[in-house]
Amino acid sequence: MTRKNGLRVLVLAGLVAVVVAAFVIARTSGPDPVTTTGTHYAVTVTAERDAIDVELGRGEPDTVTVAAVMPTMGHAMPEVAARKTAPGHFVAEGDLFTMTGVWELSIRLAGPSGEETLTVNTLIGG
Amino acid sequence: MIRLLFLVGLLLVALASPAAAHTVKAGADLRVAQTIAGAELTLVIKATTRVPGPLRVEVVGFPTAPELGLRLRSMTDGRVVQGSVAPGRPAELRVEETGPHELTVSAGGETSVIPFRVLVDRGSGWEFLIYGGLFVAGLLLVGGLLTGAFNRRGRSAFVVTAVAAAGVAVAALIVVMEPWLPAGAPDGAEPRPTDSALGRPYIQRVVSTIPVRPAAGEEFVARVELFDGSTGRPVDDLALHHEAMAHLVVTSEDGRYFRHVHPLRTAPGRMEVRLRADRPGRYLAYVELERTDSGGQLLTGEFTVTGTATSTDPPDPAPRQAAGTVTVTPSVPQAGRAATIEVATNGTPRPWLGMAGHLIVRGQDGGFLGHVHERGTPSSRLRFTFSFPAPGRYLAWAQYATERGITTVPFTVEVPR
Repeated sequence: MTRKNGLRVLVLAGLVAVVVAAFVIARTSGPDPVTTTGTHYAVTVTAERDAIDVELGRGEPDTVTVAAVMPTMGHAMPEVAARKTAPGHFVAEGDLFTMTGVWELSIRLAGPSGEETLTVNTLIGG
Repeated sequence: MIRLLFLVGLLLVALASPAAAHTVKAGADLRVAQTIAGAELTLVIKATTRVPGPLRVEVVGFPTAPELGLRLRSMTDGRVVQGSVAPGRPAELRVEETGPHELTVSAGGETSVIPFRVLVDRGSGWEFLIYGGLFVAGLLLVGGLLTGAFNRRGRSAFVVTAVAAAGVAVAALIVVMEPWLPAGAPDGAEPRPTDSALGRPYIQRVVSTIPVRPAAGEEFVARVELFDGSTGRPVDDLALHHEAMAHLVVTSEDGRYFRHVHPLRTAPGRMEVRLRADRPGRYLAYVELERTDSGGQLLTGEFTVTGTATSTDPPDPAPRQAAGTVTVTPSVPQAGRAATIEVATNGTPRPWLGMAGHLIVRGQDGGFLGHVHERGTPSSRLRFTFSFPAPGRYLAWAQYATERGITTVPFTVEVPR
């Protein structure tokens, strides 16, 4: 009886742990893609520590460059040219961010339809 | 035992969860003062409760406001909605999603672009546990009744009752502890780290006029360009500081000219306002603003007006006759000691820029500028408390709004050695 009760408590505790874990994971989701639309182009940007993925929703630029700035610290990183990996898909790689936190990315797109800089804010995790 | 486990689990959750954003508030109206087409007005972007849904925009004129053309653009998908707003005739613009938007306001050939975020509160998130616990308890109570009815042996009924009790315990615990639990950021909020450090670099400014040397009596544009002191990039993260993106105070060197206006954002990091000065000379400009997550900053600049004094003075928006009487206590204020300045108003003040009254204090040489707020509730007497920092002569302007518009009461204060 006592051992069975103990087992039940354990099972219950396990269930609670699963619920709590699911809850925590749901509340602290990872970096989300950010979509922004300008006059000529629309992009969806997914930024990670060592790669920034730029997916074109509208427009066909020839070149895409990314400049990162951390507004709270006043850090600015040099412009990085993104490589075209597939039609409508550009990826910037390298040492893009010096630290974790909120970074402001200026995506400069240039092509036949014009030149435009779109800005997004993204949270870079550890 | 079970309750203890829950408590430990909850405390762990509370510690592990991100310190949620407290500065971004869903459910609050945005009030933005603008000086446009010669009018001083406050644009009110009402809080949204659901998306897709209407976004209400109102305008309050001091004393009147022209009809404003509105253009709302979602930065996410580029969708544009247009409308117009006038005092007493609010606009309802449809928003399809939360997140960054731009509201372009135009009147009299002038345009201002106001960036803001549509935020919708998505609840605390802890409600999930409250309703979950109650749901489990309810389900098991019904199950318990059925088990009791069809099962003679009490053991499984005991289990069912225990789990139901646990469900109720979780729900009750969350209800009690909710004020101390971290709240989730609203939908559409800016991304924020868990340990958001406050403060951003200082702003470097360039104050200029268009034309470069404006002539007395002629309209000119005063332009303030803002640059980040650390990165050199345009500063485009201004928070609403006392209901404006920026407060610009322009005074002539002798203090006879005074304007407190709210420039329009014409480009990222660029604020502009149309002015007219009646006499030539040196003019001092002070810009009060605040970057997101930072404290307030005061930027200064100056420009020169050429030509000769115009014979017909342009209409002063601040009638100086019967504007109000000023009493300073003590009558001879001491440097570094709090003095009380009382202004008897002509008419009942109504809130302007979130306050019943404002007092701008400038040192005679222009090296000091203070902005003091009325300390009480709106009444026919405005009371300000201010410590004049050093001996000298101070030029001061008390300002309040009534239904007749904004009244400015100029006066001077001598602080002896």
